Amino acid sequence: MDDQRIESHPILQFEKSAVLSFTFDGQPMQGREGDTVASALFANGVQVFGRHFKTKRARGFYCAIGNCSSCLMVVNGKSNVRTCTTYLEEGMVVETQEDRGNLLRKRQVGQALDVSKGASDDV
Amino acid sequence: MILPKTASVVIVGGGVSGCSIAWNLAHRGVKDIVLLEKETLANGSTGRCGAGIRMQWGAEMNSHLAQYSVRFFEKANETLEYERDIEFDQSGYLIVAANEKEAVQFKKNVALQNRLGIPTVYLTPKEAQEIVPIIDTSQFVAATFCPEDGHLNPFHTTEAFAKSAERLGVKIFKHTEVTGIDVNQGRIEAVETSRGRISTDTVVVAAGGWSKEIGAMAGVDIPIYAQRHQILVTEPLEPVLGPMVMGFDYNIYIQQVPHGSIIMGRSDNTEPRDFRVTSGWRFTEEMTETCSKLLPPLSQVNIIRQWSGHYCMTEDAQPIYGPVPEVNGMYLACGFSGHGFMLAPATGQLITDMILGEPLTIDVSNLDVGRFQRGELVFESSVV
Repeated sequence: MDDQRIESHPILQFEKSAVLSFTFDGQPMQGREGDTVASALFANGVQVFGRHFKTKRARGFYCAIGNCSSCLMVVNGKSNVRTCTTYLEEGMVVETQEDRGNLLRKRQVGQALDVSKGASDDV
Repeated sequence: MILPKTASVVIVGGGVSGCSIAWNLAHRGVKDIVLLEKETLANGSTGRCGAGIRMQWGAEMNSHLAQYSVRFFEKANETLEYERDIEFDQSGYLIVAANEKEAVQFKKNVALQNRLGIPTVYLTPKEAQEIVPIIDTSQFVAATFCPEDGHLNPFHTTEAFAKSAERLGVKIFKHTEVTGIDVNQGRIEAVETSRGRISTDTVVVAAGGWSKEIGAMAGVDIPIYAQRHQILVTEPLEPVLGPMVMGFDYNIYIQQVPHGSIIMGRSDNTEPRDFRVTSGWRFTEEMTETCSKLLPPLSQVNIIRQWSGHYCMTEDAQPIYGPVPEVNGMYLACGFSGHGFMLAPATGQLITDMILGEPLTIDVSNLDVGRFQRGELVFESSVV
């Protein structure tokens, strides 16, 4: 799972934190506590986070600071979540977003997966 | 383009009203029309407005004016030979009654509207929810819905009028400020501008919030004031709202534009009465609170930005249409109090009727400027 992570660095030390499980488009994945959703995906080799609603061109990590909207995904049924500034939580359901964000989807996913709380993107 | 030395009519203001008046005059054969705009077209209230149009009014005259405008907008792309699209989306207006008192008034409104051929229906909260699934039925006691109301793009609409007017020979001067109006023995003689003087005997004041200043140049006191109104817009979403949702006592209007963004505004009587177009945090708080109560899923949505513009207010929140008694040749089309955009087609038609001395298409004689002195205010219950 950690093949994209920096394992050794001449100056910085990276403590290995607790493992968190989540799913990406239904596929089970693991990240680390302290990861953002985007960094966990990236560590798992996922680079396409979504597609432009009109052109369907790939979108992924870009600004990494919550400004650019390139990393918007559906998290726990909530659309337009800035995954680069949203901390990963245990059991998160992360999905590729290909539309402009569908408010009505939340209910469907929430019902199917019994997600008790929405994604928090107030990092 | 060189400013002409003379004109048959000078229109002051390049918002939707001024452009509609210019087009209507030219369409009905008037030559040598000049329109002056100190900034760019639709820079004032027009380009900052909520851009809805509804036929659901409490007063018969307003219903007639709105009906006229809806019928015009339905065919505007063809009538104005506009090569793009004014984006008229007739998905209706759902108006919620926050309390029993409003519900009683709404019943009367629906009866009036139906008599005039406006297909409004009176709904229970449950029925309203079938039209707007994300609405919280506990927040209102009843609603009315007119499927032929809607919203359109104010920039395209203004452009459509302006382009068509220009093809008919109207000369539009942007970045040209009116600096004075010459009156001689009670008659309009000329308009002074930042680019020169135009001799004319007819001036139409369609300058929105600035109309009072224009009137003062001719020594006319127009009883209006500009008041700031704020709006915010969210990130784009897939279609979720359907019709425009509005409440008077609830104090909200909210619509989803074709691009997917949601635009919402509300009124606040403590807003400054001057030319400020700044934005404030209090509006953001109050607006999001109001919106989240009525349409809870929207509390999840990110705001992109906020802006403000002016309502050009009169004492009775009704427009001023018509000639000024003390200065021959000056006509007013101002004081729209927040619904000038939707009335623009009727405004153009009626001011043209007046200038050409023809019978009024809709009787708006009680909207003259003299009504304030006579104490004959026109009351409309349904405004936000």
